[in-house]
This record gives sequence, C-alpha cells and structure tokens, in this order.
Amino acid sequence: MRQALTIATFCAAGALFAAPARIDYGRDVRPILSENCFHCHGQDSGKRMANLRLDTAEGARPVLASGKLYQRITSESKALRMPPAASNRSLTPDQIAVLKQWIDEGGGYSKHWAFVPPVKASIPEGENAIDALVRRRLDAEGLKLNRPAAPGAWLRRVSLDLTGLPPTPEEIAVFEKKPGYAAEVDRLLASRRYGERMAMDWLDVARYADTHGFNNDAERSMWRWRDWVIESFNSNQRYDRFLTEQLAGDLLPRPTLDQRIATGFGRNHVINSEGGIIDEEYRVEYVADRVRTLGMSWLGLTLECARCHDHKYDPVTQRDYYRFYAFFNNVPEIGEDGRVSNAVPMIPAPTADQQKKLQDLEASMARLTAKVDAKATSWRWHKKYARLFDAAKPAGATIDVPCAGACVFDGEKPMTPGQGTPISKRGGLTMSAWIEPSPGDRDVPLLSAIDYARNRAATTYGTGIELRLTNGELEFRFGARFPAYSIRVRTEGAGLAPGERHHVALTYEGAAGKNVNRVYAAWVHAYVDGRELPMRVMHDGFPLPDEKSDKGSPTRFRIGWDNSPDGPRFAGRFHGIAFWDRALTGPETAALFESSALPPAVAAKQPSAIETGWLRRAVLRREDPAYKEREAVRGEWFALRREMPTVMVMDELSTPRETHVLLRGGYNTPGEKVEPGVPEHLLGGWPEGAPRNRLGLAQWLTKPDHPTTARVVVNRFWQQIFGQGLVKTSENFGVQGESPSHPELLDWLAREFIDSGWDVKALLKQIVLSGTYRQDSAASKELIARDPENRLLARGPRFRLPAETIRDQALQFAGLLKNREGGPSVRPYQPAGLYTGLVVAADYPGTSYVESKGDDLYRRSLYTWWKRTVPHPTMTVFDAPDREFCIVRRSNTNTPLQALTLLNDPIFVEAARKLAERAMAQEQSSAARLALMFQLASGRAPDDQDREILGRSFERMLAAYKADGKAARAFLAVGASPADSSLPAAELAAYAAVANMILNLDEVITKG
Amino acid sequence: MECDNYLRPWSRRQLLARAAYGLGAAALHSLQASENRAFPNFTPRAKRVIFLFQAGGPSHLDLLDYKPTLKERYDQDIPPSVFGGQRVTGMVAHQDRFPIVPTMYGFRQHGESGRWLSDLLPYTSKIADDICVLNSVHTDAINHDPAITLIQTGSQLPGRPSMGSWIDYGLGSENQNLPAFVVLNSLPSNGMPDQGLLARLWGAGFLPSRYQGVQFRGAGDAVLHLSNPPGITAELRRAQLDGIAALNQRMEQRSGDPEIETRIAQYEMAFRMQTSVPDLVDTSKEPEQVRALYGDDVNKPGSFAANCLLARRLAERNVRFIQLYHRGWDHHGGLTEKLPAMARDVDQASAALVLDLKQRGMLKDTLVIWGGEFGRTPYAQGPVKPTSYGRDHHGRVFSLWMAGGGVKPGHTHGRSDEFGFNVAEGGVHVHDLQATILHLLGIDHQKLTYRFQGRQFRLTDVHGSVVREILT
Repeated sequence: MRQALTIATFCAAGALFAAPARIDYGRDVRPILSENCFHCHGQDSGKRMANLRLDTAEGARPVLASGKLYQRITSESKALRMPPAASNRSLTPDQIAVLKQWIDEGGGYSKHWAFVPPVKASIPEGENAIDALVRRRLDAEGLKLNRPAAPGAWLRRVSLDLTGLPPTPEEIAVFEKKPGYAAEVDRLLASRRYGERMAMDWLDVARYADTHGFNNDAERSMWRWRDWVIESFNSNQRYDRFLTEQLAGDLLPRPTLDQRIATGFGRNHVINSEGGIIDEEYRVEYVADRVRTLGMSWLGLTLECARCHDHKYDPVTQRDYYRFYAFFNNVPEIGEDGRVSNAVPMIPAPTADQQKKLQDLEASMARLTAKVDAKATSWRWHKKYARLFDAAKPAGATIDVPCAGACVFDGEKPMTPGQGTPISKRGGLTMSAWIEPSPGDRDVPLLSAIDYARNRAATTYGTGIELRLTNGELEFRFGARFPAYSIRVRTEGAGLAPGERHHVALTYEGAAGKNVNRVYAAWVHAYVDGRELPMRVMHDGFPLPDEKSDKGSPTRFRIGWDNSPDGPRFAGRFHGIAFWDRALTGPETAALFESSALPPAVAAKQPSAIETGWLRRAVLRREDPAYKEREAVRGEWFALRREMPTVMVMDELSTPRETHVLLRGGYNTPGEKVEPGVPEHLLGGWPEGAPRNRLGLAQWLTKPDHPTTARVVVNRFWQQIFGQGLVKTSENFGVQGESPSHPELLDWLAREFIDSGWDVKALLKQIVLSGTYRQDSAASKELIARDPENRLLARGPRFRLPAETIRDQALQFAGLLKNREGGPSVRPYQPAGLYTGLVVAADYPGTSYVESKGDDLYRRSLYTWWKRTVPHPTMTVFDAPDREFCIVRRSNTNTPLQALTLLNDPIFVEAARKLAERAMAQEQSSAARLALMFQLASGRAPDDQDREILGRSFERMLAAYKADGKAARAFLAVGASPADSSLPAAELAAYAAVANMILNLDEVITKG
Repeated sequence: MECDNYLRPWSRRQLLARAAYGLGAAALHSLQASENRAFPNFTPRAKRVIFLFQAGGPSHLDLLDYKPTLKERYDQDIPPSVFGGQRVTGMVAHQDRFPIVPTMYGFRQHGESGRWLSDLLPYTSKIADDICVLNSVHTDAINHDPAITLIQTGSQLPGRPSMGSWIDYGLGSENQNLPAFVVLNSLPSNGMPDQGLLARLWGAGFLPSRYQGVQFRGAGDAVLHLSNPPGITAELRRAQLDGIAALNQRMEQRSGDPEIETRIAQYEMAFRMQTSVPDLVDTSKEPEQVRALYGDDVNKPGSFAANCLLARRLAERNVRFIQLYHRGWDHHGGLTEKLPAMARDVDQASAALVLDLKQRGMLKDTLVIWGGEFGRTPYAQGPVKPTSYGRDHHGRVFSLWMAGGGVKPGHTHGRSDEFGFNVAEGGVHVHDLQATILHLLGIDHQKLTYRFQGRQFRLTDVHGSVVREILT
C-alpha cells in the first residue's frame, strides 16, 4: 500500500490536468515507462535486459510496431507479464490504457520537457503574465482566483516572505492609511533584513554549517562566506554572477577577495578528521559532494545516480558524471583534515572593517617609510653612534652553539648538543641561527625534530617541529601529523639569498595561560635580522592534547637535515645556533640579533653594505621618531593580521589531477580517463572559447539558452513563497521528477528572469505583486479537499513558517531582537547537557556549547551556531536540516514536540514576558493590552470572540498568580533579560501567560 | 482527526493530498487504516526491537568468538593469504608487521548449548542458551563514522533514514502517547566515550522528519522542553491549552485549513506526553528484585543499566524501536586495561534485560540485538605483550548476538576462520542483518521503499538477504 500511495502521489500532477484528448509522450507516457521499464530497458547499458531499450524511439520501434510491448504488459502469463513480479513494479489498468492509446496514436517520442530551453508564452497585452497563466489553468478547471487578502494580511505575508520578519505596528499603520503595494515591496527589498531572509534558504542548499560534521565534528569558520551571501542578495547581485562567483570566483581574472570568499560554496561540504581514515576515500567523497550539490542546486538533476553506473532514468551516463566530477577534482585538499579548524585550502578573509584598517595602516607605513628613506641617502655611519648600542643577548638559552668561525654541516649530520630543548604545545620556544645559504638550498631543513621516516598514510607521520628554508623564505612546521594536523607558516619577503649571512629567529608563544582548545598559527613570529616579518598561514589545524599528554620532553634537533629517507640537506653554513624554552619578545629578538651583529660591524674597518644597513637600522631604532612610529604602526598591522578570520575556498592544483571513471564509484577502482565536460547533447553546447574548468562550467550553466538553470532557480524562489515549487520535486527536473503544474508559467518566469539580467529582486517583486500572490488564503472546505496542496493556486499560500522565522518573529514581538548583521555565529539558549553523551571525548573546538552573552542571545536565527551532529533543537524540531549535505526543500511537519518547544522553551517563555511588558507599557486597560499582544503577533486585530477568549484566559491566570506570588515571580524569572520590576508581578505574569498562548497560535506560526 | 499514533498523525493536509487524486476525501479513513495493512507483509515474529548498540567496535576475539589456535601463533605475522586485500587504517599504516595476539582472557563453555564465552561476560554466560550468536558478520567500512552509519542506515554516507525511522514509517506506533522510535544514550563508567554519536544515526534522512528517533535523556527533561516553565502549573497549562484550542478552532473556521485541526490534536498529545513520559522514566517503583537483576548501576540515571531497564518499560508500552548506545569500545591501545571495565558496564544489564523480558513472556515477541559497528583485528596495534595489547578496527568479520523475537535460542550462526580474520562460513553482511531484522518484524525488506529523487530507496539499498538459518 505504501507503494501504491507513492505512485498515487506520483501521478498527482497528471491527475490534476484536464484529461487529455491526445496522449502527450512527455506528460503521460514517459512517467509510466520511466517508473516501470527504464530500470532494465533504459539507458544503463550494464543492466539492460533482452537488449531492449524503451527510452528512445529507435530502441522501442520494433516492439511498438510488432505489438509485442502491448502483449507483454497485458499478458495473462505470470512468466511473460511485464514488469516482472519480482521487480515490485506493476502497471495499473489506467496506465495500460494510456500506453495503448499512445501506441495506437503512433507511439511518438519527444524530448523531456526540462531539456528543451524555455520559451515565453504570449500574454495578452496589459495582463499580468503570472495571473494570466494561472488563470488559464483555473479556467480549464472551472475555478477562479480567490478574493484578494486584506491589505494587512498581504503586508504580513509579504514582509515575512521578503524579510523573514513581520511588519511592525508602525509599518502596518502607514500602509493601511495609504496602501501602496509596489512602494511597500520596494521598501522591503531595500531592507538589510532581505538579504538575511534570502540567505536562509540558500544556506540549506549550500549545506552551510559551523562544524565539519562526522565523528569529531569540530568547529570550522565559514561565516565570511555566509556574510558574502547576505551581501550578494542585499546588493541584488545578478544571479548569474552569484552562481559564477560561488562556482569559480577564484578563476576569474584577478579575483577580488570577495570573489574568492564566494568559492567557499564548494567547500561547505562535510570534512572527516577521524583518525586513520584513508585520505583518498574521503577526498573522493568531497568531490562527489560537489557534483551532487551542483546537480541539485542548479541543474535539477540527480547526477549522483550516475556515480556507480549509468543513470537509470535520465540520459546521464557514468562517464558524464565523471566529466562533471573532473571540474571539481583539482582542489589541493586533504581527505583527512579539519580536526580543530578550517581545512586547506583556506585564505585569510579580513572583514570589510578590517580591510579598511589594514589599508589605513599600510598607507601610514608607506608614508613613514618614505620619510625614513628620504634620510637614508644622506646617512653616514659614525663611531659616535656605537655608544648607543646596549643590546645584550637574552639570558637563559637552553642551547647555544657559537660556531665562531662557520659550522659546515654537510655530511656530518650532527644534532644540537646536550639534553636538548623541552618542546610542548603549551610551552614557548625560540629557535635562532645565523645562516648563509648556498645556491642549491631550495627547500631544506635548517633545524629539524620532525618525523618524516614513517609511511605517509600513518597517523603519526610528520609528528614534531621544524624550521626550514624554502625558496629564500623561512617555513615553520609544528605538527601531530603533517600537513593536516599542524601549524605551517611561511614568511613573506624574507628573501634570504645564497651567500648572504642573516640572522633568523622563530618564536612560538605556547598555549600556557591561554583559554584555548587548539594551537594557533598566530602564535608564531618570524624575525630576520631582528625584525619581524609577515607570514602566510598554510595550515592551522594543530590540536592541543590534554595537559597530561603534553609534557615537554627535551628534544635534540638535527642541524641542516631531517630524517626523511631521501630529503635534501642544507648545504650552506651556520654561524651560531641558539634555543630558548620561551618565546622571546620582539625587542629581545632584536637584541639577540644586535648583540651578535653589531660588535663585528662596529669593529670592521670598512663595514660591508649589509653591515652598514644593520648599523643604520640600529641607530634609527633608537633615535629617529619617524622610524619608531613606523615600527609601532607595523606592530598594529601585525596584530590585526593575526585577528583576521579565515575561510575555506576553492583553488586549483598547478598540475591538474587526472580524473578517471571510478568503477562502481570506488575510490580505489579507477577506470577510463576522462576530461572535464558536460552532456552537450542533453543540456546544450559548451560556450565557445570557454575554458575547460569551473569558470567555463559556470558560463555554460548561465548561457541564456541553458534549459534547466533558470527554471530550477525560479522554481526555488517560487517554492520559498508558495510553499512548493511549480515543479514540486524542486531537486529533480529529470524524467522521474514531477511535471510542472504550470509549465508555461515556469517557462515564462525563467525566460523573464534571464532577460531581466538575472534580477532576483525584480523577479520577487513580480511574484508578490501578482494577483495570484495577493489572494486570500482562506478557502472553502470543498476547494481545499479538491486541491489540498494548492497546486492550482486558486487561493493564497498558507503554511507553517520556517524554524528561523518562528523564533525571529517572537523576538521581534518581544522587542528582544538584535538586528546586528553578520559576524561569527552565536550560541543562544540551548538545553543544558544537550551534548553530553553525544560529542566526541576530545576537547576540540566546537565540542562544548558555551552560551553567548548579551545581545548575541537575541540575534536572528540564521546566525545560530550550526553543529552538524547535534544541531540546535529549536531549529530541528521545526524541520531545519542538519546541513550534512545539500537540501533544496524542507519537510513541513506538525508534531507534539513543536508544541512542547513553543510552550516551554525558555526563549519563547522569555519572549512572551517581554511582549507582555511591552503591552503593559503601551496600553492601560486589560482589554487593550490583550488586543495589542494579539495584534502584534498575528498581524490582525482580534474580533469580539477572540477578545472574549483572551479575556477569560487572562482572568484565570490573574487569579492564579494573585493567589500564588511565588509562581508569578518564578515564571517571570525565565530568561536572561530582567523582568520590569516596576510592574506588579501577578499582573505581568498573567499577561505573560496569555502571551505564551498567543505565541503558540496556529495563525501566529503560519504564514496565511 | 484521529491521531493514530505519535509524531505521525498523518497531517490532514497530507492525507487529503493523497486522497485527492481519485480517491476522494471519503476514502480518507480507509486509506489511513490501510497504512497499517501494507506492513507487515506476513506474520511478524517480533513486535518490537531493542538494539543494544556497542559503539566503537567491541573485540569479537576477546568476547564472543573463541579462537584457541591463536595461542600457538602468538607474535607471528598474519599469513598473506589470510591478510588478503585488508584495507589498513592510518593507525597501523606505519607498522611493518602485523603480529598475532591471542586473547588473554579465559573462555569457557556454558549452558546446554555449550557455547564458548569470554570470562569477561559472566552474566551473558548465564543466558548462553537464550541468545543466538552470529560469528560471521561483516561490513564494508573500516572507520567508525562510515561503519556505524552503514549499520544504522544502510549506507556509509549521510543522508539515508535510520533503521528505526524506516520501521516507524512502515509499521507506525501502537502507543498513542509515546513515540514509536526512542533513543537512549549511555556513557561508559570510565567517562571516556572516544567517538561522537551523530544525530543522523536516528535521523529520518529523506523520510519526513517526524519519523526521526526521539532522544530520551538521562538528565534534565527526558524529552526536551517536556516540563512546564517554572510558575506554570498543570492547571494553568490546561487553561492555556484550552484557550489556544479555542482560538485555533476559530481560525480553522475562518481559513478552512484542516492543518489546524491536526495542530490542536498535537497540543493535546503534547499534554498527554507530559504525564506519560515522566511516568515511564520513573523506575523507582520497580520491585527491588527487578532492580537487583540489572545491577547497582541501575540507580545511576543515564547509565547503560538504567537505560536497559527503561528499554524494558518502553517495550512494555509497545514502543516499536528502542535504540540504546553504549560508547567506549574503541581499544586501539590498552585494550587489556579498558575492555574489562567496558564489559562490566554492559554484561549484567544486557543479560538482565533478556531475563526480565523472558520472565514477563515478552521475549518471544521482542528482538534484542547486542553488537557494534565492527570487530577488532587479531593482530596487535602497537607493542605486543601477552597481557598488554591493542587492536585496530576490523570489519571483515565480527560477532554480535540476538535474542528473542523469533531468533533461535542457543544457536550459533556462521564461523570466522581460525584467525578470526575472515568469514569462513555463513557470512552475514550488515545489509543481511538489516533484512533479517525487518523480516522478523514481518517486513519484506525489498518492499519497504520510499521514493526520493525519482528513485525507490530502501534500508538495504539493493542488497540484503534474510539469514533464514537463525529463524525459529
């Protein structure tokens, strides 16, 4: 019966259409063949039975002409009858009748509607296209558009749809005095809240979350991408750009930071850091996830069905799948990554504010540097300056190898002497040396205590600490497993040239005394010749073990070599090596350098150019105000850079990874090699001259004649507003998807969207100003029974609000909502101990929930911290997904757990109290106060009967709280915001209890 | 509106949606009744399932699968012919050899069946004749997340409905006041749970979200937000609900939307749960001899023992699928220190549950399953000593036991090879296990399907066959 039910649902779209005089293959026949026959007689050649295919005219012609098909589907013999009983599929008499009529009418085939580019139907002059096309359908059904909704109801509906928040009483008053529908829509579209509302749905599609998912489910930082989405909608970025930048922003010519941040879309997938997994197995999953997301979000095709074999229903082969896959297979990523923070590739992503500050600081530095440099040409060394030099070597070095002449280590391979320096994640460290590289030193270890001797697949590969010289830059590595679980930073602009002698120092601050649960790359500072250098963070994923397992053990370093079996050696010279078991400060590092650099320079009869430079800088440091100021600004600049958030992005390997068809989808079973490409016969040709990469893919998707992209996108916007798409299966426009209820309307909207320059605001404006949208949602029982899902659109939309909106509007009624836009996600109230017994034992960032304070308790719900394995229950109870993968439509359920949440969740109880306080402050009589609360929440004035029910409830509550002051005070104490103590407790509690009821009303949590 | 069961009172709108196409609203009631006619497909042996899931991968070699010949091969390498294409995890990828380490624990025969069981399981030994041990289970995954997701949802990757959701979807609930699918998490007594659990393990995947498991918690409200806020008494709550219902009814008249009727019913259900759930989780009135059966831990809320007792009470109330989790079995190193404590945590209560069900006559239609997502390697991870070793994940063969619900008591199914490394006989893939569980509930696993993305999905994907040898 279950199956019968689903089939009944499946045929629904067909049944809603007026009975056709003539059979239409795409509408009437293909769904039947697809469901019942294509599995064995379709496009998957691997599974094809009897060498018969029914999905093409050529394949079917013989059995249609001979009458054999009809014989087999009507055969009395169990053995002959198709589909076979064992398939769990069967044809109904109606379906057989349809097939018979189709065969009798010639058995014609046509291309599936979604693969034919949309064309605009002609609309009579002066008519609203949406209404005209909806009416066309209603006329056929003998129905009419419903009466328009009351202006206030429309305003509430459109405000919720476009901003996710209800209108304020002031907005309602203004509108009701002079209803200007178009002006109101413009106002809402211009609101900053609009972008937040639009982002809500896109975050589901893009599987945005604040944790990586899987077993460890530690924190990630993708909020810069989320804020990019909000900004993109608010600035009404063309949708083709919105798509292009997310898919391939990094491949645009000279990409901006924002365009690179946009590519975070491709990295929002789950990432596994479970120890011991096989890297490649998961890397393949990430690529597959990108293909699936592409299919669902823009193509409207279930591409992933072709991962292991040719698609059973749609004409997508396994080879097609891997050609899509090839576009996304070139990311320099690691299968096992993301244990404590973002996975590579990632970039620093300063906020607009930070970018501005950085620019200002850089301008100041440039100005001051010019000032300093201006004096440089005339500057001459004089012995008198020598008395300024007071630098002494910092005390307490754990290792000090003077190498007074020069130590050459090639071939000798010694270690640092003595007991070694204690290394732990908590303790600080300084490593320093005078080096003089040789020309061959491209990527060589300087001071190494890291283990490269093991198998690279081992979880212990790369444990340890190291300083390297890489193309003239210093690189520091400190890891539990290299590279994923390490900090790896490289200087920018050190320029350590062969034959030049320089002092290098590296300090690591250590976690001691910091309230953290991971190690940060920002704790590393690098200095060349006593001066700090900016660094590029390449990996920042180093976990912090518990204190017991982090005892510093004395470590001896290999000088100039590491223990990899075949790694290169440093071939230059060392002139002194020293370690400290603490991080030297900036001034100390300068002193360390000067204490060994200046005396010989001062003593030199004729200082070299480099030595002169050292002397000059040492003098300026002490005497020149401009120099001092510049260094202070530079310090600020460093500090700000350390605070910048990062975001995971798409990037391309310089040498492309080969893509092979993976047999049965297995990561370890490569087959035929394939190149990036698309099924052009199906979805249109590759744009001329477009590159064969993600950028070309974006150009192909946004070609004006692409058959699915615009349809899929407008359908989803329609779904956002009407509760379901014109194509109900908004994730699947393939042959197994549902046919559109209004095909001409879908096509008209898609065409119009493209012609308008992919203008989202214009599209939404058109929809919400249509008569179709403005209809009253109330209808007769008969009409609802006839069209329960409102597919015919003979009434306005009415459905329960999304999780985020239910909470957000309650905060707004209460005056609690804090409309601060963007930034890191926040942690509102959550039941205590929710993570107990669920999260991983290790203390990774994101495994404990520390409630936010102050305003952050009351931010919009799209900023709520989204932990994939234990999402916030106030969201999930109202059908928000866990965001482990792309979802394009949520369920809309109605459960007792929702009732318990709205009645008892502290945020709703607190909101009820604040709503009551608001009413008491604004009105005097109890009737007026109750009416105000009701009106604020529902958007309409209560009628007499409503008032009577509210009044009775209030009297009942008031009597109870007057008799029990303790209960009243207890009720008022729920929530972090204080209750207004100037109000009588019993009365306030009684209003709050009624407000609690109001927030539970169907019409309050429903958009009607 | 009849709310035939909890959490899935077919929303009226959905019913109408289904009814509208040719069936008409009049067919609504019969349609609903037929919901339950589709399944079971045949007479079920079990009415309900209690899955005592041991997360982390308990060592079959130290608990359920006796391999005496390993003693003679101490510290020898696994022969390449046996090792085959073993996918080695990153944890042992650096090892240059894979030396055999036999169990250090004694094994003895028990009961009339003469079943060999580890001395770590003294209580399970007493039910040796009640349980059926499967020594030939195997899985595809080698790490926790994919393996646990596979055994609980039929796929290694996120996105599929969990077993409990499938069963709820197919069979529905027989209790009007409780969910059909309840989840109970237990923490190990040593407080070291290792891996995380994931909401997806009891998630509904692409099924409507009302089929997801409802977590009952050991601390605080058993069900989230079950208690009224402070200052709202039961009487006031009743008054509030009456007011809400009255206002909602008015809205229903105005809008004609039948969904409101469902909402009113759901508020009543919520109110009933506020009594039924606390009553259910209050085990204080259980007789002393019953509590004693489960052991001292039964007094610690949230412990495995307390949850086993709770599971029996849920079973009594006809909750369909009761999923327990006990974590902490991931013994890569120091297995010999951790395994005894872990076994102590679960041994007595697991056996007690079987005995308790048996003495109440409920074992015959309650299926109890005990096991994890995979077993552990016969070779050591890290250093080898006879009495100190660790073992890595091992999915090529492992053991679990089942009891009651139409499974042959005292029976042993399948065999691993002499190394406990590969299946020697009667292999049971995880999908076969799932097919068998559904079969015991009267469901043909090939018929329990749901259409998503244009395809009929099922718990067993395109695999699975019923292990008929273990059926009574």
